[in-house]
Amino acid sequence: MFDVSRVQKELTECNRDKAISGVSIALYEGGSDLSHLRGTITGPVSTPYEGGTFLIDIQLPSGYPFEPPKMQFITKVWHPNISSQNGAICLDILKDQWSPALTLKTALVSLQALLSAPEPDDPQDAVVAKQYLQEYPTFVATARYWTEAFARTSVAIEEKVRRLVEMGFPEDLVKSTLDSVNGDENLALEKLCSS
Amino acid sequence: MADRETAKFSASSSSSAEEEAGGTLSNESSSLFQCCVCLDLLYKPIVLACGHSSCFWCVHKAMHQWRESHCAICRRPYKHFPSICQLLHLLLLKLEPADYKRREMEVLEEEKNAGVYSPQFVDSDVGKLHTVNDNGTSTANIKDRRPEDFEHLENIIKRKVSVDDVMCSLCERMLYQPAVLNCGHVYCQSCLSDLSGEPLQCHVCQSLHPGDFPNVCLNLGHFLEEVFPREYAMRREEVQLKKAQRPTANPSPNSVQAQKATEKIGLRDMYFCLSEDMSDVHVGVGCDSCGVYPIIGKRYKCKDCTEAIGFDLCEACYNTSSKLPGRFNQQHTPDHKFELDDSQLLRNILMRSALQLDISEQGHQLVSVPEDDDPHDYENHDDEGNGYEEK
Repeated sequence: MFDVSRVQKELTECNRDKAISGVSIALYEGGSDLSHLRGTITGPVSTPYEGGTFLIDIQLPSGYPFEPPKMQFITKVWHPNISSQNGAICLDILKDQWSPALTLKTALVSLQALLSAPEPDDPQDAVVAKQYLQEYPTFVATARYWTEAFARTSVAIEEKVRRLVEMGFPEDLVKSTLDSVNGDENLALEKLCSS
Repeated sequence: MADRETAKFSASSSSSAEEEAGGTLSNESSSLFQCCVCLDLLYKPIVLACGHSSCFWCVHKAMHQWRESHCAICRRPYKHFPSICQLLHLLLLKLEPADYKRREMEVLEEEKNAGVYSPQFVDSDVGKLHTVNDNGTSTANIKDRRPEDFEHLENIIKRKVSVDDVMCSLCERMLYQPAVLNCGHVYCQSCLSDLSGEPLQCHVCQSLHPGDFPNVCLNLGHFLEEVFPREYAMRREEVQLKKAQRPTANPSPNSVQAQKATEKIGLRDMYFCLSEDMSDVHVGVGCDSCGVYPIIGKRYKCKDCTEAIGFDLCEACYNTSSKLPGRFNQQHTPDHKFELDDSQLLRNILMRSALQLDISEQGHQLVSVPEDDDPHDYENHDDEGNGYEEK
């Protein structure tokens, strides 16, 4: 079993200054399992990721903090070191360069830095890396489009889901209704009330 | 800072004197002695040659089972598991008695579950500590004082700790730029560099210090500078004067120089380790005397120690018939018999796994040892709750 008290301290510590750091951690899907967390990072300014909010799936192995946490982007992102298919991340500190003195917060901050400074020579996604190296303007446009399309709405939709669930509708129904009206909250509410 | 302290003391004036004495100091003081791995108060602190410190188990769990290990903070390589720094241990017990006791209880509980223990310090140490504590200022004394008296953090800490607690046993003065040897004893760095002989030998316990010349222990150094600013400045002048008086003598390495030199050694060691034939490595087995981990070459296993963790010596320590106790509280005595043991030899593990592999790529496909290239892989430790060797 991993070090529970350390993880609890990390969560408190990380969320204390989330407004400044742009990094926060919560339990996954509001569950109670400390080994499955969800990180949130804001896209760094003056990058194609600016304005986006990226969700990261965090799983803690039993050897944590002596083994690195397993992190993967939930939000789709166009970046040479992040798989555009499944969100897998290529970052040394999440692999062999992990040290138990690092924390979930420092790892998330490193992900933010990775968004600012891609390393196309050590790619996770070869297609994106090739585009980054050969057609940089296209890369920037694509990355910006993906940020607009996925990193904005995913949060906006989450927010809408949360508000509708708070009104007392079941989550599954809220999600499917929102999907059916392309995310229009008012239409969804009308539909939910009339059903 | 002063306000916060006064508030704390006046607020707790109704509680028992014991609680007051045990109350935590300011955040500043406790964060100075926070372990970077468990993020809690350092417990049974170990100081590596790079000057960074962690708890006994936090260091041990982070060590690599069949290669050299790296400091969690600065990644400096090291091969020996150092002994607990008793000076720092007693200092913390005095500074944060309540928190330190809590840590003791928690760790003891974990150790009971795992069936492996860290060195248990005998009661006489603690007894000694309490008497020292009492002749300084009694807890009642603190209670009697009015809140206005608690002006500075330094003063509060000084009531708990005196210069006598932080002495160098070579120059018999207050420690200046404290450096900790592999055996856990603390000296001024300048005193150590005055010592002749390679490798360094501890003045107190006579054990040799393997590995790099130790850097200044950062948190202890900062603590001394903060709590005893006047004394520390005086010591600085003394040391500098001494240095100036003897320009031809062995110049005491300032920390930058020392670091440069040791970095070179560290790198050389690393290449050496990489090119080395790894088949002589006893996976997950450390020497209970010098602390080398893992043992490379001959491994002598005690036949009479009954603890699950066993008692082992490397060849060098076996030949010098070390009298040191075990690193994990084993009840080892000098009349115990040893035998050569090769059950954890990497090549035997490989053979048992029936893998005919080229030695150079062994780590990648080992069955019994998980994932290569991960310096902090501790699956074996956790699964068995037994850090030192797999059974």
